[in-house]
Amino acid sequence: MQQAQIDMEELLRLQIDEENSLRGYLLTHDPFYRSEYRSAVAGYDATQSAIRQTLQSQHLTTSGKLLADYTHLQDEWRATVARPLLAHPHERLQELDKRNKLFSDYETLTAGAIRRQLASTGEQLARSTQVQLDRSSYVRAAWVLVFGLLAIVFNVYRSRLNRELEEERAVTKILQRAFRSESIPLPHCEVGSAYLSATSHIAVGGDVFDVYRLSENRALLLIADISGKGVDAAVLTAFVKFMVRAIALRDSAPAEILSEFNVVLAKAVGDPYLFASMFVGVLDTDTFCLTYASAGHDAAYLRGQDGVMPLKVTGPVLGVMEEPFGTETVELEAGDTLILATDGLTEVRNPAGEQLFDQGAMELIAEASPEAQPLADEIVAKVRAWAGRSVPDDLAVLVVRVLGPEAAHA
Amino acid sequence: MHKVLLLLAVCWVGVATTALADCRVHRGQHVVLYSTTDDPSVLMWDSRARLREYHAASFDVAQAMLPHALLVSPGTHADVLACISSNVVSPLFLSPDDAVGVIVTSGSLRGVARWVLGSDVRLMHAATHR
Repeated sequence: MQQAQIDMEELLRLQIDEENSLRGYLLTHDPFYRSEYRSAVAGYDATQSAIRQTLQSQHLTTSGKLLADYTHLQDEWRATVARPLLAHPHERLQELDKRNKLFSDYETLTAGAIRRQLASTGEQLARSTQVQLDRSSYVRAAWVLVFGLLAIVFNVYRSRLNRELEEERAVTKILQRAFRSESIPLPHCEVGSAYLSATSHIAVGGDVFDVYRLSENRALLLIADISGKGVDAAVLTAFVKFMVRAIALRDSAPAEILSEFNVVLAKAVGDPYLFASMFVGVLDTDTFCLTYASAGHDAAYLRGQDGVMPLKVTGPVLGVMEEPFGTETVELEAGDTLILATDGLTEVRNPAGEQLFDQGAMELIAEASPEAQPLADEIVAKVRAWAGRSVPDDLAVLVVRVLGPEAAHA
Repeated sequence: MHKVLLLLAVCWVGVATTALADCRVHRGQHVVLYSTTDDPSVLMWDSRARLREYHAASFDVAQAMLPHALLVSPGTHADVLACISSNVVSPLFLSPDDAVGVIVTSGSLRGVARWVLGSDVRLMHAATHR
């Protein structure tokens, strides 16, 4: 549009050049003015053609018609005024002057009308563009504002949630640490333990293990995994630990301990959805006879001279049904190692989604260090390495290695 | 009858007042003729109706009317005889123009009275008055 306006000014300049060249020739009869006239004519024709194309492309039909009139007038002026005067420069007639005046008036006014319409269309275009720009700016600003507010609200909410989860995780870890047994020395045995917390806040939960001396030569070995996560599950681990100790002090048969605890769990906690897997063993540190009962707790292994073997489950998980639990007895020898873990060992998956299962766990145990504490630490380290960047579940490991009666004397 | 005459008188006064009030020049003023178009010469018409028709007409009609016009050189002096406000309308004008009746006071056409377009007359300063 602006180019059309510029061309229009150029057209008027060329028209004046035509007239001035004609006047110059009439006054001086110098051929220079004739050639100036011709070049002005050529420039005028080219410029009006450019303007006509612009007007057509912009669909400005009114201005197009005015331009056609204008061009027609100029052609007529050339035919009826300019050429006769160029041919007979000495004969200036009154009627010819009047006709020149008529052409001049019409052309000036027509050009003015075209210019006005171009300017008006240009302004209209600029105004509507501005309106659209303003509107899109407002809409964009509104969206930015809405998303900004949402982002702020979301961030505040997420920060608060993270803080709360972090606090809960910290409390849970404190509770776990408080209720987890320190390594209690057992005669003729070596005890090791390790614990790996889940990386996710909500996965920290109810793994518990305990080594407790029931008498001079009898030790309680406990490992359990209580359903549920967070502070509630961590608190329950304390309940499990001390309740099992209390029952074991009265009746040291592992199956009876599990049966009695099963009843207590249902009555004392009163949560029908709560269940726990538990391994309870009683080790005679003189004879190295291990009696145990396992309530659905399958991550228990014995490493001996023949390799690693799982200790079988002797009953269902606690909190589901009241069924009798079986008892198993294993005669341990010097060098045998009992490895008790929670399901964080067998259920861990690597980033490709492959689960370790029993077989993997046993291979891992078989390759690990013979000593109790390094073995526990290695298991945790290898599980962490297998899991990759995130550990999905807690893992508790309790290792008891039989050293034999000679070790005590040594 | 009196009432009709009174009404006509009021109408005439109203029209005359409006015309006089809006006109760019007034009777008796000294003016210079000078056109605002590219050709500053001025066409003078033998009647106000012809002046109006010339500007409202198509080019061909306007061309046919040229014998009724006189062409005076720019700078010709004249006195205003009458002025009718917004009397000349053209599709090419931005707004209607005045019709001004003048009598030429200089040049070869001295003493000739004709009608010209309002935008073709310029008021003379007091110092340039005859």
